[in-house]
Amino acid sequence: MVPDVGTLALLALLGGLLSLDATSVGQVMVSRPLVAAGLAGLVAGNPEGGIVVGVLLEALHLAVLPVGAARYPEAGPAAVAAAGAYAGASGSNVALLASVLFMLGWGWLGGRTVEWLRRTNAIWSVPPEGPVEPAVVERLHLRAIGVDLARGAAVTLAGLLVLGVLLETLGWIPFREPLTRPALALSAAAAVASSLRLFGRRRLPLFVAGAAAGAVVLWLR
Amino acid sequence: VSPFPAAVRRAMLLRTFVVQGSWNYRTLIGTGLAFVLAPALRHLYRDDPPALRAAVARHAELFNAHPYLAGVAAGAVARLEADGTPPETIARFKNAVRGSLGSLGDRVVWLMWRPACAVLMLSLVLVGAPWWAAVAAFLLVYNALHLWMRVRGLEMGLAEGLGVARAIREAPFEPLAERAGNAGAFLAGFAGVLALGWGGEAYRGLLLVVGPLALAAGILLGPRIRWVAVLALLGVMVAGLVAGNP
Repeated sequence: MVPDVGTLALLALLGGLLSLDATSVGQVMVSRPLVAAGLAGLVAGNPEGGIVVGVLLEALHLAVLPVGAARYPEAGPAAVAAAGAYAGASGSNVALLASVLFMLGWGWLGGRTVEWLRRTNAIWSVPPEGPVEPAVVERLHLRAIGVDLARGAAVTLAGLLVLGVLLETLGWIPFREPLTRPALALSAAAAVASSLRLFGRRRLPLFVAGAAAGAVVLWLR
Repeated sequence: VSPFPAAVRRAMLLRTFVVQGSWNYRTLIGTGLAFVLAPALRHLYRDDPPALRAAVARHAELFNAHPYLAGVAAGAVARLEADGTPPETIARFKNAVRGSLGSLGDRVVWLMWRPACAVLMLSLVLVGAPWWAAVAAFLLVYNALHLWMRVRGLEMGLAEGLGVARAIREAPFEPLAERAGNAGAFLAGFAGVLALGWGGEAYRGLLLVVGPLALAAGILLGPRIRWVAVLALLGVMVAGLVAGNP
């Protein structure tokens, strides 16, 4: 659902700040989907919804690597948009499914805007050839960070509006949802398991031991 | 004894946190490196403005490194500038460390440490810990290494200059990556099964049968599983809409 104007502004600002964390500033990982979606849920007044969205998005984002100039989706603003719009959907499973799918697409789109920013920086943020004052370098560098903040906020705001309208529309359409939750759980489990590729398949015995421990916890519940 | 006062070292350290602020496809983090070095260069060339401008231009050229290890290069370059090392030698040094600082950081942090810490956070939430506690644990554990790399890396660079490569080799990165990989693999299995449990009590039988297949598919397909998941979830969405509107 589309949040009210004040919440939209706060969420856009949050998305902008978290987008900086991905590359430009700090990289302390507050832009991880579970952190970003949880914060967005708090801002939008539905922390539980934010956490549920965040868990699914975190699982699906685990194996994404920001190595070098590789193309990769941008998680922070998309997670804020997904959790922010889902906050008003009162726990509907179809809204959760739509939010997760939307985040995956919007994260890809966000990644393309990062590429645009990097191409723009190659023109506007590289000092001219020859001797240059340090103040010029500092100005160019800080301006690039400002543009990144604005880009992240714009991506988040657009995502909130598009997904909000989509969820409001879906609310009017009848939906049979018995398989939604198990499908989301299976997708999340498969995505978490895919991270074994990062750690190395030679560690499969450790993975199996962890899975056995997880099964014991589930059985004890 | 460092050739730079504490205020300059502090400014350089703070600036390493934004070293990637102007990341671009032409000079990569070249402008960012010059931004980090600016306080040191201002201090060294305070009485020689033309030399200052020339030094800034030299260090705004193409450069890349893992962001957490860029301080190693910045510290070493500042030290070499302070020692009066010829610019050609400094340029060769930058070329030599560029690749290794990038690949070491990618291997230790992006490939092992970050996913291991993220799957720890996920495991804590799935096991029932409060969200804020899981996030706090993640941020504390993850950033303990992150901040150590930034702070110690800059110190190491400033102290060692050209000898920084040896200091990096002696740092315990490889054993750390090995342990993080072990913990990450265990936690991935743990969180994977707990994620299945989230599917709901009513579908326990289905999840018991299909769950192991999903885990196996994740292991076999690696990151490509995202696309499979997207297609499967789109299928569920379409099927739900069709079934809901007979």
